[in-house]
Amino acid sequence: MDRAWIDGQPATSDEALDAAAKLLADAVQPFVGGLRTDVAGLRAAFALAKDLGAIVDHADSATIEPFLSALRDGGAFLAAPAEMRRRADRVLVLGDEPATIGADLLTSLSTSEPDLGVRTRGSGRQIMVLGTVAGPVEGHDGVTRIDCASDDLVDVVGMVRARLAGRPIGEGPLGGTTIATIAEFVAAAGFGCIVFSPAEVGALGSEQVFGLAADLNAETRCSTLPLLGSDNAMGAALLSTWTAGFPLRLSFGRREAEHDAALYASDRQLSGAGEADCAVIVDALADGAAAAAPAVALPAIVLAADPAAAKAAQIGFAVASAGRDHDSILYDSRFGSFVGQTAQESSELPTAAAILTALAERLGGRVADAA
Amino acid sequence: MLKRLSGGHVVDPATERDGVIDLYVEDGVIVDPPSDGRSADETIDCTGLVVMAGAIDIHSHIAGGHVNTARLLLPEWHRAFSSRPGETALSRVGWTTEETGLRYAQMGFTTVVEPAMAPSSALHAHLELADTPIIDKATLVVLGNDDLLLSMIRDGESENAIADYVAWTVASSRALGVKCINAGGSAAFKENVRKFEFDDVVPDYGVSSRQIVKTLQRAVTSLGIAHPLHVHCNNLGVPGASSDAIAATMRAAEGDPLHLAHIQFYGYGTEGKRRFSSRGRDLAALVNTTPEVTVDIGQVMFGQTVTISSDELRQFAGRAQASPRKSVIFDHEANGGGVVPFDYRRKSFHNALQWAIGMELFLLIEDPARVFFTTDHPNGAPFTTYPDIFALLMDRSVRQAWLEALPKAVREMTSLAEIEREYTLNEIATMTRAAPARLLGTADRGHLGAGAVADIAVYRPGADKAAMFGTAAFVLKDGEVVVRNGAVVKRTFGRALTLRPEPDKAMKARLDRYFDDKYGLSARWFEVPDGALGHNDPFKVVPCRA
Repeated sequence: MDRAWIDGQPATSDEALDAAAKLLADAVQPFVGGLRTDVAGLRAAFALAKDLGAIVDHADSATIEPFLSALRDGGAFLAAPAEMRRRADRVLVLGDEPATIGADLLTSLSTSEPDLGVRTRGSGRQIMVLGTVAGPVEGHDGVTRIDCASDDLVDVVGMVRARLAGRPIGEGPLGGTTIATIAEFVAAAGFGCIVFSPAEVGALGSEQVFGLAADLNAETRCSTLPLLGSDNAMGAALLSTWTAGFPLRLSFGRREAEHDAALYASDRQLSGAGEADCAVIVDALADGAAAAAPAVALPAIVLAADPAAAKAAQIGFAVASAGRDHDSILYDSRFGSFVGQTAQESSELPTAAAILTALAERLGGRVADAA
Repeated sequence: MLKRLSGGHVVDPATERDGVIDLYVEDGVIVDPPSDGRSADETIDCTGLVVMAGAIDIHSHIAGGHVNTARLLLPEWHRAFSSRPGETALSRVGWTTEETGLRYAQMGFTTVVEPAMAPSSALHAHLELADTPIIDKATLVVLGNDDLLLSMIRDGESENAIADYVAWTVASSRALGVKCINAGGSAAFKENVRKFEFDDVVPDYGVSSRQIVKTLQRAVTSLGIAHPLHVHCNNLGVPGASSDAIAATMRAAEGDPLHLAHIQFYGYGTEGKRRFSSRGRDLAALVNTTPEVTVDIGQVMFGQTVTISSDELRQFAGRAQASPRKSVIFDHEANGGGVVPFDYRRKSFHNALQWAIGMELFLLIEDPARVFFTTDHPNGAPFTTYPDIFALLMDRSVRQAWLEALPKAVREMTSLAEIEREYTLNEIATMTRAAPARLLGTADRGHLGAGAVADIAVYRPGADKAAMFGTAAFVLKDGEVVVRNGAVVKRTFGRALTLRPEPDKAMKARLDRYFDDKYGLSARWFEVPDGALGHNDPFKVVPCRA
């Protein structure tokens, strides 16, 4: 079985590593991206990126950027899903994306009841969906849906906050009576929980949602569950933060890490519109491709679990799939942290971390130190 | 290879040595001088220098979910570090795992304890610690607001069963000890309780903070865990109520060991027109007369910082003082927590008095083996302020200069100016080396006797104590020179010190069912797998007492 390719032709790993090292050594501004891998792969990718002075981003960081942006601009109230399953007596679901990216969570919430807390236990759980679909909670006891377009969510949440603060509100997209109904629903919670997708409501909408939670906590308890679309991107952002101080979209081009959410985004760099002139792309997960893989206009070194993707690159390596072919540490939003995942299958393919480390060694860096 | 550190002034209270002595190091440990006349392969000239064991920090928030959230919340401070070193308030924080390890090492610290690891965040914390170079690390795992413990107490389960649960938590999370943070307070806050005293009960459980602390104290003792239960008391920071809470907790030790964290934040009274006063003298007296208790200070220093705590109730209350005005509050299983940025200002009456109260406690607690050197990093101040604190403790004239820069109203509210004590080098070595090692039960460090790990800090003595302790002349970690003249010359990786109590099989099966049934989580997710950390041999197991 072929494991490495140069310009689509089978090559030995050594030949491909030599070619990749030359490509990177000749590059003015490398980019290290994709980052769809486990913690070991991420560490190796960051070590390589530091050595190269590369720009770094994850393929799916667009799904987490609005959340991170809102958090650092205004702070947040954040809950663990498992705690909300036991504690929340009223759940407000905002928008349509939770029905898809949060289907398991919504199912779990609609098929369980709060069993903790004098204020919440025994009263059952009510779920109010503001969206055009209720998704997996459709028809469950205690579920109501108010028709609301995604584009209206930010206004609606703002009006709910105004109503709770006793300020006059107009009719808005849903009408004043409906806003009052929503406000009463969340204010009457013993422990309320707001489920939303930051990518759907944007950074501004996310800030509004965190603001609503903050307002409610003046009198009662409330927290939020932002659904991030890509657990893998969130894991990469967390590792990036403790490693470099910033959550992705950063550059080591001037040695110290610099962060710019627009300048160092994957799409901009890989399309050729950015500063990068050569890319290392890691795509080593079993669960399909990145949400929206951009066209790559740069010479690229691809480490992929899908051999076809590796073969199609200028230089490609077939690598084992993290979490499936080898034991891995991956972020899991159900837990809200990193978990160990035991391999389901065995594979003779190298890990992404092994290839990245070998590449860095060929470039003479200090990657071995960082392992 | 045999190394000799020659001619240095060895200050090693654990072995009662204080004089010019040659030290020998081989295979990463300190050895007796060769009896066969063998000469050293390498000699490090320490003539005129002060030689101590590597320092140990028993309470510093350096890793884990909440620490990383603080980094996420405050990217502007990291940028400040990159482009304008020395000019901004947080330019010396040690913001990344990399900087944390290197900056601790430069000051001669070689072991640091992350004191607030949630069981659900254990793997995350250990991943960060594994990326922190040079220093050895350890963690305290947090219990005391978790449904299972509170339910077990409510239901009258046996002390053995509770100890089994604690043992499982310590073993799974790879901790060195157990901490409880505002015992019952976070659980009560989830019930919308906004103030929680030592004898208040958590709604729905009917269990008081006192019961939780006493239950955990007994479990820790019965398991032979060397480090006493590490307690963050109720009512942190509340004038009057804070000092009542810590006094009640201290009396509840009842002759058994108990460690009380960052007690400066509990030294607050309600006297004076601002209803904020020092109870430092009373609190120090209580510590002096309660020999079973150890404390650390949590010294406040002036400047921008960020508070990181699993005391969700008090962090929520602290949101009102957030500077800049943004914060993150977590409602997780068990403790939750909060990240609240804070700017301690020299010209603020409250902040300046906080600083003075910490100093009073350091200086009025008589036994340097029972008071530990912390800022509760970064809650009172970043750990990079340590050199200044050493100078303040060792030099009365430095204290005087600081006092004179404070608001006059503060000088009238503190007895600090009258305190003449200056810490000696021997007392500093007791407080930061010998005593912490005894407290943690890590007999292999904190001293320079044969058999100790060769973690050694060598300082250039001088009138400027901040300069002396800010940049070590040499630091050896496991026998290798890692710092020379304050600069890191070799980047090594230390290990995490852990206990490894054998969990009871029946308790393990029970927890598998509990986490699955109640939370829909796998109990396995709470474990830190052996191969997770990416280093060979990432742990060093410390034995429990028989």
